[in-house]
Amino acid sequence: MRSYILRRLLLMLPTMLGITLVTFTIIQLAPGSPAELKIRADQTGALGEQYTKEVIEQTKKLYGLDKPIHIRYLIWLKQVATLNFGESYKDHRPVMKIILERIPVSLQLSLTSIFLIYLLAVPIGVYSAVKQKSVSDRIITVGLFILYSLPNFWVAMMLILFVGGGQFFHWFPVYGLNSEGADQLPFIAWLGDRLWHLALPVACLTYAGLAFISRQQRAAMLEVIRQDYIRTARAKGLPEKLVVFKHAMRNSLIPIVTLAAALFPAILGGSVIIESIFSIPGMGKLGFDAILARDYPVIMGDATISAFLTLIGILAADLTYTLIDPRISFEART
Amino acid sequence: MSTRKVATIALCVLALGACKLKTAGEQESSSCPAKVESPGAVEQILPPPGSKPAAGDWLIRRLNAEPGTLNPITATDNYSQMIDAMIMDTLLDMDLATQELIPLLAEKWEVSEDKLTFTFHLHKNVKWHDGKPFTADDVIYSLQRIMDPKVDAAPLRIYYIDCVETKKVDAYTVRFTWRQPYFKALEALAALPIVPKHIMDDGTDFNKHPYGRNPIGTGPYRFVTWETGKRIELVRNKDYFGKPGYFERIIFKFITDNNGALQVFNQGEVDFLERLSQTQWIKQTNYPEFFKRANKIYYDYPQYSYIGWNMRRPPFDDQRVRTAMTMLLNREAILKNIYYCLGKVVSGPYYVNTPYYDQSIKPLPYDPDKAKALLAQAGWADHNQDGILDKDGKDFKFEFLISSGSETAEKIATIYKEDLQSAGIHMEIRKLEWAVFLQNVQEWSFDACTLAWALDANPDEYQIWHSSMADVKGSSNHVGYKNPEVDRLIEEARQEFDKQKRIELNHRIHRLIADDQPYTFLFCPKELAAVDKRITNVVPYAIRPIFKFAEWYVPKDLQKYSGDRLQRP
Repeated sequence: MRSYILRRLLLMLPTMLGITLVTFTIIQLAPGSPAELKIRADQTGALGEQYTKEVIEQTKKLYGLDKPIHIRYLIWLKQVATLNFGESYKDHRPVMKIILERIPVSLQLSLTSIFLIYLLAVPIGVYSAVKQKSVSDRIITVGLFILYSLPNFWVAMMLILFVGGGQFFHWFPVYGLNSEGADQLPFIAWLGDRLWHLALPVACLTYAGLAFISRQQRAAMLEVIRQDYIRTARAKGLPEKLVVFKHAMRNSLIPIVTLAAALFPAILGGSVIIESIFSIPGMGKLGFDAILARDYPVIMGDATISAFLTLIGILAADLTYTLIDPRISFEART
Repeated sequence: MSTRKVATIALCVLALGACKLKTAGEQESSSCPAKVESPGAVEQILPPPGSKPAAGDWLIRRLNAEPGTLNPITATDNYSQMIDAMIMDTLLDMDLATQELIPLLAEKWEVSEDKLTFTFHLHKNVKWHDGKPFTADDVIYSLQRIMDPKVDAAPLRIYYIDCVETKKVDAYTVRFTWRQPYFKALEALAALPIVPKHIMDDGTDFNKHPYGRNPIGTGPYRFVTWETGKRIELVRNKDYFGKPGYFERIIFKFITDNNGALQVFNQGEVDFLERLSQTQWIKQTNYPEFFKRANKIYYDYPQYSYIGWNMRRPPFDDQRVRTAMTMLLNREAILKNIYYCLGKVVSGPYYVNTPYYDQSIKPLPYDPDKAKALLAQAGWADHNQDGILDKDGKDFKFEFLISSGSETAEKIATIYKEDLQSAGIHMEIRKLEWAVFLQNVQEWSFDACTLAWALDANPDEYQIWHSSMADVKGSSNHVGYKNPEVDRLIEEARQEFDKQKRIELNHRIHRLIADDQPYTFLFCPKELAAVDKRITNVVPYAIRPIFKFAEWYVPKDLQKYSGDRLQRP
């Protein structure tokens, strides 16, 4: 097992190298230059354009953009080897620091919503598989399909308008992750305040995944429930509860676990809309703003770390198989 | 992953734009009333009779995004400028009402006979927020840093590139010498951002100096905290040498989404909300409870939008064609249907509320028949009977560049496309992300594009209209405008220190440009804002930053916050 993990971790190196090389090339070759964008941000009343050119060249040199692209990539790699992702063009703070500020915020959102998705989706899926073709199964099916097809920015807007104060109900806060002065609250009150703030964004991040995963769970369950060993289990007189939860459900979880690995990075990246709408300073918004401003160091830092998390997520999913299904083992089979 | 994010956002913008287009597409030809009719909205909020200004209470403002840094020398975004304006002072201030320079850190100043030397005499009892005295060294140090290529201050550097000599006459007198006479030199020096030398000059890299997140100024407010991703808080400087504002604290909250911001305002957690969208203004803030807790205010904003025609390429190298293009755009109807009449159609590159704008020059009317006649004169007619105008065997087709994210640009483009279609012109709308859009414009690879310029109190048209800029890639004269007469007038105006004479020169430039139609000038928009009901004496002025926040106050009996706490929940 240990050697398997080690092998997988080593394999990540060339993968990461490839990912960063491709990302680096694409963003640097994309039209738009950070030096020009910065100088054009405010240009009314400036003097002569011949000077502007000179100043743009100075800025390029300051950002190290005067060197050819392959040299820049090597410089970047050398930096990253020491876990230094350079500094943002926006505020000259270390990229690592900026990202470390943001990751916990995004993780709070994504982990809470993944947890909720699985907490609800698995039982719903199992229930509708067991009650296949019943009225309740059909109602659940229709409901989930409706949820799945609602775009999340629209849902977020509706939630903000209808339960976020103004003309309608003032039930939830629509801005940030804390109330004013929440730092001074006792822990329990602070946690309550945080959860209250998380309610709407997490709801937006959860419902579509919930619909998707529970459908997958239903399908997997139906697949398993038709198997001979389930019939055997029933035939030998096991109580239905035991058949469903012990024999059928555990076997149906494997595809769902695989999906978790895919869901994790998707939620990190997909939250750019939700983070923007609810003014939550997370990773998605950071990456998006960096792309618009061509803030190369931040884009690269974001991409590298997201890629790394994705690879780790996939590895974690693979390892989870062994927990669910004892037949799967990564011990050396030589 | 990165590209997917962009694609998702672009799609959302598209989807939003598409739903709203239907209503905007129906055009009515009636024009706007002379005065804005908007229920519940006012031009200014004056204190009720008998009300007395009282110190205290907080002002909570909203920022669309978090500033990068508060170091005024390396900062590039508007947000840091808004905050720094409270914390820091400049040598001179611009009086928003008279649009004249008035003393601030410098109590008086002199301009030499040859208009090349500017001497500033500094106030002697100004202290930085840490108690150290403010002297000429700080001023000189700040300018040195701006000019230092290792400092990330490129946009600022351009303003001072003509300053050839900086001299400390004594501890409280500085003298700057300019390479050539330029009427805006004094304005540039007046606005010079000043940082404390005793803090900054400690050997650390200027760009990374912790000062950027913990600034110290001489201004009416002191910096308190910056909670990353959330808010910045300032407190009133009791030892301020001038007249500080009335608010005890000023708080800036970062709220990205416009709808979210309006809801936060509705919840009472923001007191002043600028830049409401037209839809928010007309539809979402028009119910009685809203009026109970807020005032709506509107004001002109020093800016104009335009469609720029690339004069380097046919067919837009022909003045008649450009004039016809303007006459084919129903600007009045767009103003009415898309802007809900909140703005003005302009005829030239000046701000309508400054004397530089020649009010006698009227915008060209919407006149498709006359446009067709002009196009025919220029040789454009439907010779091959295919419904599209042609000349020398070439169809009249062009691409209209807009930047994604600009909802109004997209609506205007769609209306324009239909109008042009019926005149036999085929226009293709091309929407690009901002950075790519900018690159296309700067490299002249466009037929037509739409943009806006923000305007100063005193304009210098050199950068945008002088012919020497027309052949420089990346310059602001991206349409390639060349007119020797305009060149001469611009050069004269740049060296003219008499405002009245400059006004006359600019009136002549205005007329020449209006005749040449290098742009189809669009609108000077009205900005829309909501202010919490308890705040009074809110008066907009013609030029940026529009408001004198030091005038605003909350009458004693209405104050909501006191010291650190909420007074009434």
